[in-house]
Amino acid sequence: MVNENLVKDVVKEPYKYGFVTDIETEKIEKGLNEDIIRLISQKKEEPKFLLDFRLKAFNKWQKMKEPNWAGLGYKKIDYQDIIYYSAPKQKEKISSLDEVDPKLLETFDKLGIPLTEQKKLTNVAVDAVFDSVSIATTFREELAEHGVIFCSISEAVKNHADLIEKYLGTVVPASDNYFAALNSAVFSDGSFVYIPKGVTCPMDLSSYFRINSGDSGQFERTLIIAEESSSVSYLEGCTAPMFDTNTLHAAVVELIALDDASIKYSTVQNWYAGDEEGIGGIFNFVTKRGKCLGKRSKISWSQVETGSAITWKYPSCFLLGEESVGEFYSVALTNNLQQADTGTKMIHIGPKTKSTIVSKGISAGNSKNSYRGLVKMGTKATGSRNYSQCDSMLIGDQASANTFPYIKSQQPNSEIEHEASTCRISEDQLFYLQSRGIEFEEAVSMMVSGFCRDVFNQLPLEFAAEADKLLALKLEGSVG
Amino acid sequence: MEIIEKIKTNKSIDKQTEIQKICLDKLQSSPLPNPKSEQWRLSNKSKFSNFLDYSVNEKDPKFDTPFPNTSESTIRLVIGNNCQINLIKENYSIQQVSEDKLVNYIKEQISCFDQNENWSDLLNLSLNCTKNTLGLKINGSEIPPIEIFSHASSNSLNAKTLVIFLEKNCNIDLLQINLGKDNSSLSQSTFFCLEENSSVNHGVVSYGENKSNLLNSLNVIQQKNSEYNLGSLHFKFNYARFEIRIKQSEGNAKTNIKGMQITKKDEQISTYTKIDFHGPNGFLDQINKSLADDKSHAIFEGSIIVPKIAQKTDASQLSRNLLLSNLAQIDTKPQLEIIADDVKCKHGATISQLNEEELFYMQTRGITLSEASKLQLSSYFQEIISFIPVSKDRWDLLDKLLNEN
Repeated sequence: MVNENLVKDVVKEPYKYGFVTDIETEKIEKGLNEDIIRLISQKKEEPKFLLDFRLKAFNKWQKMKEPNWAGLGYKKIDYQDIIYYSAPKQKEKISSLDEVDPKLLETFDKLGIPLTEQKKLTNVAVDAVFDSVSIATTFREELAEHGVIFCSISEAVKNHADLIEKYLGTVVPASDNYFAALNSAVFSDGSFVYIPKGVTCPMDLSSYFRINSGDSGQFERTLIIAEESSSVSYLEGCTAPMFDTNTLHAAVVELIALDDASIKYSTVQNWYAGDEEGIGGIFNFVTKRGKCLGKRSKISWSQVETGSAITWKYPSCFLLGEESVGEFYSVALTNNLQQADTGTKMIHIGPKTKSTIVSKGISAGNSKNSYRGLVKMGTKATGSRNYSQCDSMLIGDQASANTFPYIKSQQPNSEIEHEASTCRISEDQLFYLQSRGIEFEEAVSMMVSGFCRDVFNQLPLEFAAEADKLLALKLEGSVG
Repeated sequence: MEIIEKIKTNKSIDKQTEIQKICLDKLQSSPLPNPKSEQWRLSNKSKFSNFLDYSVNEKDPKFDTPFPNTSESTIRLVIGNNCQINLIKENYSIQQVSEDKLVNYIKEQISCFDQNENWSDLLNLSLNCTKNTLGLKINGSEIPPIEIFSHASSNSLNAKTLVIFLEKNCNIDLLQINLGKDNSSLSQSTFFCLEENSSVNHGVVSYGENKSNLLNSLNVIQQKNSEYNLGSLHFKFNYARFEIRIKQSEGNAKTNIKGMQITKKDEQISTYTKIDFHGPNGFLDQINKSLADDKSHAIFEGSIIVPKIAQKTDASQLSRNLLLSNLAQIDTKPQLEIIADDVKCKHGATISQLNEEELFYMQTRGITLSEASKLQLSSYFQEIISFIPVSKDRWDLLDKLLNEN
């Protein structure tokens, strides 16, 4: 029998990003009403179409009910007790990074995100979002040489209003769901990426989201457009300080891929998950969706979900273009009292579309980890294929692992395959590794890493190493 | 509330039984299942309301289709047809359960009913009178195979209830046949209680005619070391719903299920299964096949629940589906809900059409396309049919499936 306590000890690692940056911030009053939305829009000097978009979304949101079908247990959110706009105070216009408050740069340095452009070796362009606003975007000039637009969404609203007006809300309409409607009404910042025709983005793009204040929610919006024959790899990371209150994070990500374009979107989500008693932590309600509009276009989601008290997230692909491809690779790790309800939707609309789903769930402690996915073959999706694989690993006898795949087919000339399994860390394998002189903890960590290998292989290099480490740290103290 | 009125205005109102009263009370608070609930979400609303269109009929339905001959050794019972049995032989006994015991058992079951999940049972029990309830207590060994019929009559809604107690160390083969008639609805609820070391090979074959509807619910409780094998087949119903709920109350039990539903024209047939492991060392092997043709809709939803107490559970569930037409659709949702950590659980699902390579191969050997399709289908069907016990050959199931439209 494997020592329960030993394995449990392997999953315990204090959250090392839990510090708070002491910085002067500009906050608006708590609460949500039309005036607040007008105020946010005014602060961001937005054009009228965007204000109308926000108000329309707010109207819809007021008529909607908070969803409860996922069966997640959490304290009712008081939407009037949240600050919807919070920004670090800084000079009106920043002409270079030198003018960014050094405390902010220090914060991101502490998180391991170099914003100073001297650190070019990493060759990753970063858009750093602190609470409600984007504070810096690196490598902009170099990207501009290739015609790539990479900036905060507020800047895009000012400089590329035509693109925003054309695409915003086309993938995730404001009325899509409760949290998407809320986001559409109050979104404060986020990233905007536009890859012109035929361009392969010369470097990986990355956005880093940091929540700093405990009483403000984060509602960012990301929009990525890949024109014909272009390709981009986008990374997203998130952390937050430790507070004993719950903070709401409701983001919307929209991806659009035209003919022959490819978008790879990778996330390492490590929001604060709350303490062992389940106090505090981020409520992560995210709507991520991509539209493969063009022929032979491809959208690939890969994610490592380790943080948040509650994760409610289903990155999806609408496969409209002929021969378009959707992929979803996910590792979700839950410990203590975390709850994760995550999965994907692959909606096959066009002919000869293909999708692959690989989901790995690891549940430890008293946590609840569910895979919930939908694969749908529409009537025109002739010759389409889907393959799904969902594996769960249970650590300890208090955690739960659920699998809810919804499969719907209306097209006989298509194939759907789904398989799921549940297992625990095999005692035989552990014994074997230990008999070869490998320490218990290392053996567990090796097995977990092996379990997630299919997904890690899909992550960009720098993320894969981070994810492996993150998982090992998170699992410290819980395997047994 | 229409349905409540219908039940209340039923002629038997004066002699309403205790069970009917309890179920009616429960139905008062939610007369119809919640269409948004997971169990009823995909149910076709107009077809479901068609089920309730017919008036309640408690008389013995006349059934003119001849049943196939039975071999001498088989015991044949028809529910509602003044069905009486009291067999006490040297090795075994099959006796009718006393009314008190039956009422107490059903009451105990109702107490843990969920309005949505067990709505079909609540409807059945609120409609049913004593005459259409058959309760059997079976013990002993070398018991001859048993066939039990439930059938509906045209233009009416019939409700039949079957309760079987299988005593310790007892093995039986039992074939249950539900027959639908033109424009009819049949509500069938079956309760099975398997005591320690008992085993049953249970077959459920349901087939209808034009515009016949069926709500078929099966509740099984397995005590330890019992074995329950179920082979089921549902076809030719305008609307049919087969609900299987199996509870391994102390674990250490074995369950094998092989089920199939075939839909054609604009039919809708669905299967819902819920397997609950309430103790360690449980075993489940389940396969559900669907075939949807024309404009029909086949649905499978299966959940496996493994709480903390059910360590060392070994459960597998497979949903295999054939979609043969552009206008047909298939929904399948196998689910796992697991808390125990030392378990082996897996499920799989596939949806496709007939294998083109195999069809091509057979055509190159001089077999016509339609013959080749039939051959492939027969092997697809045969896996399930061979699992149905008792006199299956006499029912010509394969022939019915392949040649009838």
